[in-house]
Amino acid sequence: MINAVLVFNNNGQPRLTKFYTQLDTQTQQSLIAQIYRLVAQRPASACNFLPLPPLLSQGASSSASGPSDTPTQITYRTYATLSFIMISTSTESPLALIDLIQVFVEALDRMFENVCELDLIFGYETLHAVLSEMIVGGVVVETHIEKIIAGVRAQEGYLGKKKAVQAASTSLGRGALPGLGAWR
Amino acid sequence: MLATNLLKKDIVTSSIPNMLLPLITLPHIITPSLAMSLLPDILSRLSHSSPVVRKKTIVCLYRLALVYPEALKLAWPKIKDHLMDDQEDGSVTTAAINVVCELGWRRPHDFLPLAPRFFELLVDSGNNWMAIKIIKLFATLTPLEPRLTRKLLRPLTNIIQTTSAMSLLYECINGIIQGGILDGEDNLQERDEVATLCVGKLRGMILMDSDPNLKYVALLALNRIVATHPTLVSMQQDVIMDCLDDADVSIRLQALDLAVGMVSSDSLQPVVNRLLDQLQQASAPAAELVDTPQTSESPKVPTLWPNDYRTEVVHRILDLCSQKNYSEIVDFEWYVAVLVQLVGLLPPSESEDDWSHPKEQEAMPNLRMNAAFRIGTEIRNVAVRVKGVRMEATRAAESLMFVDNRSTFFPSGSTIGDGVLGPIAWVVGEYAECLLSPNRTLLSLIDISNASLPSTTLPLFLQAIPKVFVQISQTSQPGDLWKSEISLLLARVIEFLEGLAAHPDLDVQERAIEFLEVLRLAAESLTSDTQEVPFLLASVIPNLFTGLELNPVATSAQRKVVLPDSLHLEEPFSHDLPGLFRNLGDLSPHESKSWETSDFYHLPELSSPNKQTRDPAPVDLQPHASYQNFTGAPVEPPIAVQRRMLERRERFKDDPFYIAPSGESSGTSTPFHEALNTSNGEVLDIDSIPIVDLKLGDEQLSHDFDRQRSRRPPVRKLVVTGDETFETPNSLADTSRPKGGDDHPTYKRSLLQVDSSSLGNLSLANGPSPQVSADEGDREMARAMQQMEEVRLRMQRASERIQLEGTPAEGTLVKKKKKKTRKHVASDRAVGTVVEDPTEPAMGKKKKRKKKTQESEKLPGEN
Repeated sequence: MINAVLVFNNNGQPRLTKFYTQLDTQTQQSLIAQIYRLVAQRPASACNFLPLPPLLSQGASSSASGPSDTPTQITYRTYATLSFIMISTSTESPLALIDLIQVFVEALDRMFENVCELDLIFGYETLHAVLSEMIVGGVVVETHIEKIIAGVRAQEGYLGKKKAVQAASTSLGRGALPGLGAWR
Repeated sequence: MLATNLLKKDIVTSSIPNMLLPLITLPHIITPSLAMSLLPDILSRLSHSSPVVRKKTIVCLYRLALVYPEALKLAWPKIKDHLMDDQEDGSVTTAAINVVCELGWRRPHDFLPLAPRFFELLVDSGNNWMAIKIIKLFATLTPLEPRLTRKLLRPLTNIIQTTSAMSLLYECINGIIQGGILDGEDNLQERDEVATLCVGKLRGMILMDSDPNLKYVALLALNRIVATHPTLVSMQQDVIMDCLDDADVSIRLQALDLAVGMVSSDSLQPVVNRLLDQLQQASAPAAELVDTPQTSESPKVPTLWPNDYRTEVVHRILDLCSQKNYSEIVDFEWYVAVLVQLVGLLPPSESEDDWSHPKEQEAMPNLRMNAAFRIGTEIRNVAVRVKGVRMEATRAAESLMFVDNRSTFFPSGSTIGDGVLGPIAWVVGEYAECLLSPNRTLLSLIDISNASLPSTTLPLFLQAIPKVFVQISQTSQPGDLWKSEISLLLARVIEFLEGLAAHPDLDVQERAIEFLEVLRLAAESLTSDTQEVPFLLASVIPNLFTGLELNPVATSAQRKVVLPDSLHLEEPFSHDLPGLFRNLGDLSPHESKSWETSDFYHLPELSSPNKQTRDPAPVDLQPHASYQNFTGAPVEPPIAVQRRMLERRERFKDDPFYIAPSGESSGTSTPFHEALNTSNGEVLDIDSIPIVDLKLGDEQLSHDFDRQRSRRPPVRKLVVTGDETFETPNSLADTSRPKGGDDHPTYKRSLLQVDSSSLGNLSLANGPSPQVSADEGDREMARAMQQMEEVRLRMQRASERIQLEGTPAEGTLVKKKKKKTRKHVASDRAVGTVVEDPTEPAMGKKKKRKKKTQESEKLPGEN
């Protein structure tokens, strides 16, 4: 299963942290910091798999072979300024996870129309909605991009009115959430 | 309760988005009691018309089952229906497969009946995501059902040959490896074909293009194959070796792992040389890199590798060479040279990190040792085990030991030396006869800079100093010149030792003082005018260090030593110990002290027949005795000893601490007891110390080595001594050693880990009769209700208590009555649960006080 989905930018500021197990904030932050340090070291040409950070490698030693509950793989992918990280157990396929990140980003791109970091900051609801369409409780439920988009739109349609009011009231630039206007 | 109800309401709402929200949220907040109360509602969602709801419900149920395994029992039939239904929406099936894949490895037996359906889905559906998951699932199923492998082989090879999706291809290969398809016995032909196909494809993945991900996972897969098909993998050596030079650290590490797995005696040397080259490049300045052939052929940028990677490489080289008791090494001289080279190549900062946390290291001794220390240990191992190159190894150690060499090997400010020098000092001392120039070595050993070495290394130095000194004194020709030389050396050694006599570390201090005193005596004996070598120097001190040859002993050997029948470790010395200790006050302090210690070490006597078979004490005990003689301790005639023993026995006859010898069969008292009592300079009753003759399986070992040698081209016949251990008939070792592993998962729980172990105990296979499950459900329900009631009561009480404290003291009495009634109600509600109530004792007291006051009121009235 997938234990956590993280998104942070090149400066290590988290943009999305989703842990599928309960974890106190302190540990969450130190884990993010450790993973960020690992990601930041790596050149662009390196492969998309990270060694386990110290926080995670404590319990992983016993799971040398066969599946278990301990998270053993960290897959990451960097797009422009953002890094997407998935921490998973060995029941997930590493290459499939890379594709999953790709699907996630493509879905975001469809929702926001040329997604960028600011979109994720201001459209965090959409970000979470997309993620929850794909992964529920650490298990992948949908990988088909059309269905993901449809699912998110169905949810947003319900909240649409509220969102529109919010968007109008915010005086922030970028005409907040341009992608959301497209479907209405 | 409110939240539960709200969630319930949301789950059964008509609006789909609203309904989905709790389904998404629940996995994050789920608790057993919440799961129990929400289960019926969530179960009903499984038959919702929208596939979106269905698929999320399935996943939600999985998380419910993790905390509340009973949920799975109820939900599984429905999930199975969805899985089997051909008309079901594809994404629902995928979700179900994903869940089954998560559950699968916990209880693979339960999913075996579904295998045909999985098979169908794998072959028919064009969904790669699902196929990957199904293959993962099959990998856990095949070990249980051997027939499955034959059926799977064809479609899997088909996929491997046809698919264009790399992830699917990789998972197929991975599934074949993990499912154990490659390591069965029957139809070998087909198996080898598949293995060849897999390895070929993996090679293609590595070679094909510059995608580092494929390289990485291919190496990962090869790493798994190498255990069963080392020859196949070693055919791909060229590719793997190229990966060793890859720009990516992750890939390099994987390749390193692989290299350790696949080397043979032929390929070992090139591999290690290559790694050494790499290390040299890494430590050399960038300007020199241009000249090396390695960089010219590959266009990669010469980056400086992080120190931890370099340390890892060093560890791996040592792993490579030392595996299987050095069976892969042909040329040990080369190995010694490599070790010396490695010392120079160690990254500087690593060892500092390690040494700055000595406590941590002690806490985890099984963790990897400091690389520097490991190199030192390797040199020592080679010196001890391989007699043929002992000379070379000692010379190498010697060269590292020289003070003037040290600055080149161990740059100032780094602490690499500390780790290496310890074992090296031991080698230098133990095999002093192999030294090239003992004089220079000794001077290096007593160099003043050594005094600042850590206290873990210094004792080894201290032990080595007299050994080397003895070597010098014995080899040189006696004469006037000799005498002055030796006394000069002695003076220097003594000066060095004097410096250490006040060392803060007790171990160092003790050894320093011991040797200091011995050597002072030696120096004194030299001052006499006689021409010949003083006895002390000629035989006494050398005898301290000559004895039996030291051999490596397996760490488990101690455990295999069979306890003598007469040794009762479990039995208490006396059954009335407390009483005895009470009587201790009567005894004089001196006596009681010696008894305690002797009792502590006391061993029951070995029965007399054993005495004949006992070996006499080895010669190395003798020097102690002679040393004591030399220092002028009075030697008593045996009759006196005998008399003393009898006296003592008489004295101790009534003493409960003294365990009298059992029976009169043996003439002497208990051996250790006597030895201890007499060891303060009186006599050493060597015969009475039990010596167990250690029968070692030498024949077996040498036989093994003969076979190994015959297989190998005879470059140079070197015998590697194996660990000494005992041949126990009833494989004691296996039973006594606790199997660290699956039986007792004692490992520390990792962060982020979802504990699904409870699922392992849950059986799904044609589930138990509904009666039982209903019963269990009822019981579970009742228990949960009880718990909830309890919590509610406690909360209620807590609020009351606050009220209680708030009210003025006068009001308590009135209040209490109210409380009592309410409490009755509460306890009625709790249906027989024992509710611990902190206010109860207080109330009881109050009641009593009230009663008392009533009584006291009454009493005066009566009076």
